[in-house]
Amino acid sequence: MARELSKIIDNWVPRESKVIDFGCGDGSLLQKLMQTKNVLGYGVEINDSKIEECIAKGVPVIKQDIDKGINEFESSNFDLSIMARSIQCLKNPNLALERMLNLSKRCVVTLPNLGYWRCRLNLASGRMPVTPELPSSWYETKNIHLCTIKDFEQLCIDQNIKIKDKVFLNSNGHSGILASISPNLFAIEGVYLLEKQ
Amino acid sequence: MKSITELINFNEGIVLESGKRLDAFDLMVETYGELNESKTNAILLCHAFSGNHHAAGKNEDQNIGWWDQIVGPNKAINTDEYYVVCCNNIGGCSGSSGPTSINPNTKKAYGSDFPIVSVSDWVNAQKMLMDKLNIPQWHFVAGGSLGGMQALQWSIAYPDKIKKAGIFAAAAKSSTQNIAMNEVARESIRKDKNFHDGNYIEHNVIPKNGIKTARMLGHITYLSEKHMDLRFGRKFQDDASKIDKEVDFEVENYLQYKGEKFSESFDANSYIIMTKAMDGYDAAGKKDSLDDALKEIKAELLIIGFYSDWLYPPERGKEIQIAAINNNIKSSYVVLDGEHGHDSFLFHSKQYSKIIKKFIQS
Repeated sequence: MARELSKIIDNWVPRESKVIDFGCGDGSLLQKLMQTKNVLGYGVEINDSKIEECIAKGVPVIKQDIDKGINEFESSNFDLSIMARSIQCLKNPNLALERMLNLSKRCVVTLPNLGYWRCRLNLASGRMPVTPELPSSWYETKNIHLCTIKDFEQLCIDQNIKIKDKVFLNSNGHSGILASISPNLFAIEGVYLLEKQ
Repeated sequence: MKSITELINFNEGIVLESGKRLDAFDLMVETYGELNESKTNAILLCHAFSGNHHAAGKNEDQNIGWWDQIVGPNKAINTDEYYVVCCNNIGGCSGSSGPTSINPNTKKAYGSDFPIVSVSDWVNAQKMLMDKLNIPQWHFVAGGSLGGMQALQWSIAYPDKIKKAGIFAAAAKSSTQNIAMNEVARESIRKDKNFHDGNYIEHNVIPKNGIKTARMLGHITYLSEKHMDLRFGRKFQDDASKIDKEVDFEVENYLQYKGEKFSESFDANSYIIMTKAMDGYDAAGKKDSLDDALKEIKAELLIIGFYSDWLYPPERGKEIQIAAINNNIKSSYVVLDGEHGHDSFLFHSKQYSKIIKKFIQS
């Protein structure tokens, strides 16, 4: 995970909190949070080699398809749930959001912005966007529910979700000026801290 | 690999969960590797229903240990690095005190008089063994199936004595179906005309047919449908190698052979005692729920299930995982392909071995 993104998330994670990271990958974000914030972290991952890496790092991990079982963790009292760069891959992103906020007080969601100017240029030329951030062709992409920054924030309003904080990243992975002035056009990624209204 | 097999006597005896007391008992113990100076490299292996102390390597009879694919030099549980201990549980029939042992009070074999034992009793006896071996804390306690239940029980009963637990192809309690299957097996033993209410030793016979049928049924539950299909299909057994003239298919011959072999070595009363212990285990114990029961656990847990296991399917492991998370226990839950059904926990696969190894090292 890009350093900037991991830094932003780090800022939002309370010390010694209980955190669940959906789509945790190789567990490096959780490992860092365990070291810097002494969190009790659990990763959820479906990829077997990534799971091995988590275990090698000493990061607790659960093999689970996040499309199927987010609500299984509702009894566990998490302080924070994280879903970085995965929500657009889910069958029901809106349900996932709702469930994450059912099992934790807050959640961090990051997502690629389809409104980014490069994507718009692609579409204007009549083709589906293929960019460094969204490198796959339409027929093989896992991103089945892409949206723009505006779309996502509208969903939050519709679902009564409060955006507690947000940061927009530009193509260098930094929170640049243009990206914060006009995120829907210049941000490649939105990073959100959400809680229930 | 340095390996020692010895019978260790516990003259102090043990009070069992049932309230009954064994005034003295023996454990047949096998160890591999060496305990380091700081005594931090000890690993306990807990055997499943029909296993015993012989976990790794070849013994005098040239038999290969039940977990040899996982335990040994440079294997997932590396005997070059760790001091590995495994014992035959009380009630078994491989040298530890059990129904075939002599009852000191009657000077005759216990037979059906051997008291009912439980998973907790085994863990308590293993704790006594731990003290005798001067091991202050297990680095890792692991087992599959009934062995996994013991690993879980260790982390509940002795939270300060265990750093990590490996719970494989196991559950916090047996399911209704598990109990039902075991009852069919026990019934076939009890109804064997040579059973004599469990006192067959006095009559100089063994209820061989009963044990054989029980094992044949058991064996089916340990394998997966797919694996059986791949291995035997509907192939016919050739006449020359038929174990019984009634046999048509290869799978029949295989079950006949496995059942026959098992019935020659396994004690019928042990079969009943071991399956009763399995059925009776409930990690929640006297607590209201599994959540409550896991409160004291300090060990890190590694729970592994196998997709092809229908006897203790992965969801049973997931229940332990969820209860562990609810209790803020560091725990991981992994499901692997494993083509051997419930028996998958016995076999090496690249992933399985790697995960165990990394978990022990992390």
